[in-house]
Amino acid sequence: MNEQAVIRTQGLTRYFGARPAVYELNLEVPRGGVFALLGRNGSGKTTTIRMLLGLLAPTRGGGTILGYDIRALPPEARARIGYLTEEHQLYGWMSVRETGDFQSRFYPAWNEKIFRGIIGHFGLRPTALVKSLSRGERAGLCLALTLAPEPELLILDDPAIGLDPVARRSLIESMVFLTRRSDRTIFFSSHQLPDVERVADYIAVLDHSVLRACCPLETFRNSIRQVRLRFPGTPPPLPKIPGLLQAVRSEGELRVTCVHYTGATEAALRGLGPTEMEPALITLEDAFISYLGDRGEKSFILSETEA
Amino acid sequence: MKTLLLKELRENVKVAALGLVIYTLLLLGQYSRPGQSPRDLGRLLTDGDFLTSTTWFCGLFGAVLGWLQIHNERRPDLWAFLCHRPITRTAIFLAKATAGLCLYVLAAGLPLLGYIVWARLPGHVAAPFEWLMVRPAATWFLAGSVCYFAGMLTGLRQARWYASRGLGLGVAVIVFVALIETTAFWQGLAILFLAAAILITAVWSGFGSDGYYEGQPVWGKAALTGILLAGSVVVATAAGRFLTNLVPRRDTSYTKSFYAMSQTGAVFRATVKVVGPAEKMRFMAEPLLGAGISLVTNRTEFYTQCAKGTKFDVDHDDRPHPSAWMLADCSLFSAWHNTADEVWYYWDRYGRLVGYDRTTRRCVGSLGPKGFARNVEGSGDRFNLRTGGTHHLILSTATTAFLVDIEQRTTTPIFTTSEDDPILAVHEVEFNNRDWEYTAVVTRKSIHVLTREGKQVWETPYEPGYPDYVAIDVYFLEPPGQYGLMIALSVQEKERAKGKLPVHVSWLAGDQGIVRSVDLPDLPAVRFDSGESKLVMGAVMPPPLLAMMRLSTRDSAPEEFPQTMLLISGAVALLVCLPIGWRLGRRYRFSLAAQVGWAMFHLICGVPGLLAFLSVQEWPAREACPNCKKLRVVDHAQCEHCGAGFAPPEKTGTEVFAPLGAKAEPQAAG
Repeated sequence: MNEQAVIRTQGLTRYFGARPAVYELNLEVPRGGVFALLGRNGSGKTTTIRMLLGLLAPTRGGGTILGYDIRALPPEARARIGYLTEEHQLYGWMSVRETGDFQSRFYPAWNEKIFRGIIGHFGLRPTALVKSLSRGERAGLCLALTLAPEPELLILDDPAIGLDPVARRSLIESMVFLTRRSDRTIFFSSHQLPDVERVADYIAVLDHSVLRACCPLETFRNSIRQVRLRFPGTPPPLPKIPGLLQAVRSEGELRVTCVHYTGATEAALRGLGPTEMEPALITLEDAFISYLGDRGEKSFILSETEA
Repeated sequence: MKTLLLKELRENVKVAALGLVIYTLLLLGQYSRPGQSPRDLGRLLTDGDFLTSTTWFCGLFGAVLGWLQIHNERRPDLWAFLCHRPITRTAIFLAKATAGLCLYVLAAGLPLLGYIVWARLPGHVAAPFEWLMVRPAATWFLAGSVCYFAGMLTGLRQARWYASRGLGLGVAVIVFVALIETTAFWQGLAILFLAAAILITAVWSGFGSDGYYEGQPVWGKAALTGILLAGSVVVATAAGRFLTNLVPRRDTSYTKSFYAMSQTGAVFRATVKVVGPAEKMRFMAEPLLGAGISLVTNRTEFYTQCAKGTKFDVDHDDRPHPSAWMLADCSLFSAWHNTADEVWYYWDRYGRLVGYDRTTRRCVGSLGPKGFARNVEGSGDRFNLRTGGTHHLILSTATTAFLVDIEQRTTTPIFTTSEDDPILAVHEVEFNNRDWEYTAVVTRKSIHVLTREGKQVWETPYEPGYPDYVAIDVYFLEPPGQYGLMIALSVQEKERAKGKLPVHVSWLAGDQGIVRSVDLPDLPAVRFDSGESKLVMGAVMPPPLLAMMRLSTRDSAPEEFPQTMLLISGAVALLVCLPIGWRLGRRYRFSLAAQVGWAMFHLICGVPGLLAFLSVQEWPAREACPNCKKLRVVDHAQCEHCGAGFAPPEKTGTEVFAPLGAKAEPQAAG
């Protein structure tokens, strides 16, 4: 057990009706660094974050955050945790300055310089009403509100959702710049794989409410391998291959993505008798899509239609 | 907390401002209603329309404000933003409640206060003012704060609208009904404070659990259960009434019998039997005594044969009647007479007639037994208001009846008696078109009929007498100079005597006194048939509530809550609610203590208890245990049947786990 973990859960489970949104989650987030929680829509990322922050009671299981029980998070723990909500919801009737003033009164360690710096970076007028801000501007304001208290742990629920690439880049850079300076921990969920690739040290992947991966980013990337096999005619049927994530069949070609690619995997593939077999370059996004896409063999729809 | 308080005030001040405008307009509308008579105007603070609009406004506005304060932030992310403050949930609740109540006072209290102050200042309302008159409106205002917390709870609860979300508002309904029914002001206040305390407890506790039942402390769960029980009583009652309306029923059936005298002095025993809807009424008047009459089955024909006369109860004001305090506060004075320039009231506090100028709306003076005085109190002389009838020209003290002339501001004695034979009642006897022809005066020892001017027509001893025999019928027979008199028991004495004491009937000739008298058997009070609705209502009401209602109406209306209802209610609780509740408790793995506790609850609370139980619990999902294959609840770590834990997620062979402190593994060999 990692004594340095800022977040630790044991069997954390939450049902909505008869459906588990998060199932038996055992997770440890180490202190320092950037931890990304990945998963498709509805995989349980937001539910996990809400449970971690004591905003939603788990159906069973539990956990700690900064050493506090998540079922009874005291105010002093909340003061140490910055939380950026998924939809960047704020009070629309407040101005940017009023929102800052409102937030600052709850945090004795409020750093006005950081707040001003971020809203300046996003070009926000202090007198502008929150409801008049664009999504990107609102995200910037939320980030300023979250970072200005200088929290020890920053939890961001899909901070870049709905932002254009420029705003997204700006948000991520601000976030990383301000947190890398000290030994803070960022725990964020995202769909934006390029952002994750740029900033994350560790990732956890939720697939249909279940944690399927939790490791350093590089480990994850290295675990997934794509191989292109060429055949003179139609590729033969695939045998059972350990760790197979996806196999995409097209005319004379089979593209196989596997996790934990080993000698046994390679031998199984060579047994198919390809004329050529070469590793394909794979980005994190491709790896992630293969990892979370439907398992098993696929053909291009077009090829199937033509057939 | 101050920051949150200010935020709440700013966020909801527009709602309060809207409420302020609406209520102010409603109050202005009360005062400036077109065609309003001075008599209505005199009842400014106790006027039915004013109290109705105050009741509705305070109730609705309170509930809407409370609900909006939660609903506006109920979007998951905004709620999370609010709750992730480094402060306790109690502080958030207190800030919201304090701000909400301040805004409620602003919107409802301010206009009401202005209205009261305006009514209090002389020259505005041509009527007496007593601070007691403020109590009904002030109570409805306070009741609005109960609705405020009920609205807050409705916004907070994690339940579906079409299910139990709105049940919290049932408490408000019960409080409103109870306020009308209470006989003393302190009872009304006690109900208000009790309901508010339970609601505040439930809302406060609900803030800590985001509106879920699970996760609340025991006292919070108890408060929430109590509230949902009250809401369930309202729902069950409404459902019971709806169901009984769907089937033909006999519960409106009743039989009523009474004696009446014909113009010739013959006595009928009339029986009205109503079966089901009112149009199925059956009427029969059987001749009992005297000649010249026959069986009559047509009501109109019967009434044309009946003698002119008057009926009155002499104990109308003497015996303590349990009446609603609110009604009493609205009846502190009564309109007496209007002249062209003045409005006169009988003011109970002073026992005097008090006049107000229509133009200046100021008091012009008062009229007592000793005559007119410029002030309200006079010299302390006071009437006892006992006169029945519509003309309101007679007032009496204990020993003298006076004819009052408002125009001349004089009082003239028309009847005097001794102190040991005090006046019990004075009644204006009116005939066709409400022509006042005679005055009936009843003293403790005798009954008198006088002309308008006070000349005695006849007098007869009041026997059998006061206080058991209080219902007096005086008949004016044909040919003129003949009279009939019936003296019957009071309702309470009728119940007690169970038909053993008779009705006394006398015939009088004006100059000879009683010429004949006879005792007739007492007729039973109205008998209601116990119909299907009683059975249905018995099935859906909690047994203790029925028992309480049965006790409280045992003397006045025993047929309202018959024993059958109580038995059915108990049987349903024992045979239906208890087994269902016990079975659910077992299925969802309640502890033994919880099982027993809920069993007691079902036994006591019956169907509403079961509804509250179903509403308050969150009923976790159940899924098959991989070990024993039986269904088990998902919120317990172990299977309740075999004790097995939950299996870890099934491995797919694609998992990637690595110690987080470790360095990344090198790329696998290719």
